[in-house]
Amino acid sequence: PAGDSWGIFTFLCAALCNLPALPALNCSEELGAGQSIQQTYDLTRYLEHQLRTLAGTYLNYLGPPFNEPDFNPPRLARAERVPSATVDLDLWRGLTDNARLAANYRAYSRLLCYLRVLDGQVGTAELRHRLAHFCASLQGLVLSIGGVMSSLGYPLPAGPAGPPAGPPGTAPAPNDFLKKMDDFWLLKELQTWLWRSAKDFNRLKKKVPPAVVTLRLEARGF
Amino acid sequence: PLSVSPAADPAVISPQDPTLLIGSSLVATCTVSPDFPLKAEDLYWTLNGRRLPAASYAALGPSTLSVALARLNGSRQQSGDNLVCHSRDGGILAGSCLYVGLPPEKPVNITCWSKNMKDLTCKWAPGTEGETFLHTNYTLKYKLRWYGRDNTCQEYHTAGPYSCHIPKDLALFTPYEIWVEASNRLGVAVSDVVMLDILDVVTTDPPSDVHVSRVGDLEDQLSVRWSSPPALKDFLFQAKYQIQYRVEDSSEWKVVDDVGNQTSCRLAGLRPGTVYFVQVRCNPFGIYGSKKAGIWSDWSNPTAASTPRSERGAGGCDPKGGEQNTTLRRELKQFFGWVKKHAYGCSNLGIKLYDQWRVWLQKSHKTRNQVGKEP
Repeated sequence: PAGDSWGIFTFLCAALCNLPALPALNCSEELGAGQSIQQTYDLTRYLEHQLRTLAGTYLNYLGPPFNEPDFNPPRLARAERVPSATVDLDLWRGLTDNARLAANYRAYSRLLCYLRVLDGQVGTAELRHRLAHFCASLQGLVLSIGGVMSSLGYPLPAGPAGPPAGPPGTAPAPNDFLKKMDDFWLLKELQTWLWRSAKDFNRLKKKVPPAVVTLRLEARGF
Repeated sequence: PLSVSPAADPAVISPQDPTLLIGSSLVATCTVSPDFPLKAEDLYWTLNGRRLPAASYAALGPSTLSVALARLNGSRQQSGDNLVCHSRDGGILAGSCLYVGLPPEKPVNITCWSKNMKDLTCKWAPGTEGETFLHTNYTLKYKLRWYGRDNTCQEYHTAGPYSCHIPKDLALFTPYEIWVEASNRLGVAVSDVVMLDILDVVTTDPPSDVHVSRVGDLEDQLSVRWSSPPALKDFLFQAKYQIQYRVEDSSEWKVVDDVGNQTSCRLAGLRPGTVYFVQVRCNPFGIYGSKKAGIWSDWSNPTAASTPRSERGAGGCDPKGGEQNTTLRRELKQFFGWVKKHAYGCSNLGIKLYDQWRVWLQKSHKTRNQVGKEP
């Protein structure tokens, strides 16, 4: 009915008038959401590539059996503190874009923390150098995902994205062998996350038309 | 693989993460947690992924299996050898990292240099090769000879794996004591103390703006020019230079030592039609009036230039080095003959005169060739 249309029209006008107050809708930005997503996708692929070399070097440093291709140790309870990429793809795909992006953002922030701790302890100069470079790139990915969320009008998940003193709420491994297992799982989870994120961003790219800033009104308390 | 109990680790190994000398022996035990329905006969051991022989096992209790390792070699990786206790189906129950190596030896060959008297970089060598089994930490320490406090260098690996850089707060005209401490899980070793004054080990940047160019049409010469390093202006040292050059496809460098403190030099006796690579380096000496030489800088980046192609000879074939020398000697004889004739009363036999003569020589060769005679 005509009344509803009029209501919607007034609603939209009110929203547009409030545009400057919405931090997510910065129309003067050169990058549309589409480009942001493309960059994030590219960064994810680059990190995947970097991780292959880093993981290879690191697992050789840990020594056999950690660097054997079929190595599959038990996932002990303590190792579950590393964010795990859900195997259930249907569940994952059933989430909203916002939920998926937020999960990515939180996971990489925490993975970054763990990696930074690793950096402080690792033996050889070559490994430290590679790790430092990877951490810098991963930090870039976290910021990039934040940028995509902002450009789509989603709120950033709460909590520190920067480097805290250590991984939140965890005790260090009680012995060196368990620490090696933790390191193994950290790298494995990183691999899975990056593999899945690439697919996520690829799909998201197709959803968002390029060079158009999309208005998302659902999360602003209207 | 075994399913995991959330409450406890499946098994415990003793000793956990021990440190051992190369050649020592070890008996390790694996005790399965009471929550797990495993017996000693259900277990086996691997070391760095390789199964250990059952002959070295012994059951010490219903759920405790030991293994005897004799005459251990140095650790395969610095993160420790992986000694793992498995259940029969291959699942990992527990692991222990074995650190097998040698205590460090005194680091040796400490050499230091200061860039423009502003900082100090030192490098050293580890005492033995054996220090690669265990991770060895090196700490460079220094103190003023006449004052008590030890300082520790912070920036490592600036000039290779065994190096450290002290960026500031260094005193001049007074000796420093410098030494390196090496430590690993098995012990500590301290190098001999080196004593030096910063002013004794000064080096500088290589010369900048190195240009190599032809000398007119002269086929066997190249002219090299460069600028003194900028730091020269800041403090009172003089500079002496060295040039090295080589033919493009050779790895043998020829060094010109007596360049002195000029910023240009003429290379002679070169092959015509050849590409040469030239580098220059600088040594700051006479710092604050002392007679001592400093440390040679790095060589400048190679600059390339080619000598003009020879006009004479069939198919651009260049005379060999020996021939070139006799050619040069013959030419010099002719030169002095010519000078006697044309330079009456002139006491300055400068290089300009030589050039003019060379040009004249080439011209006369050209006319001779045109007439059809061999030179």
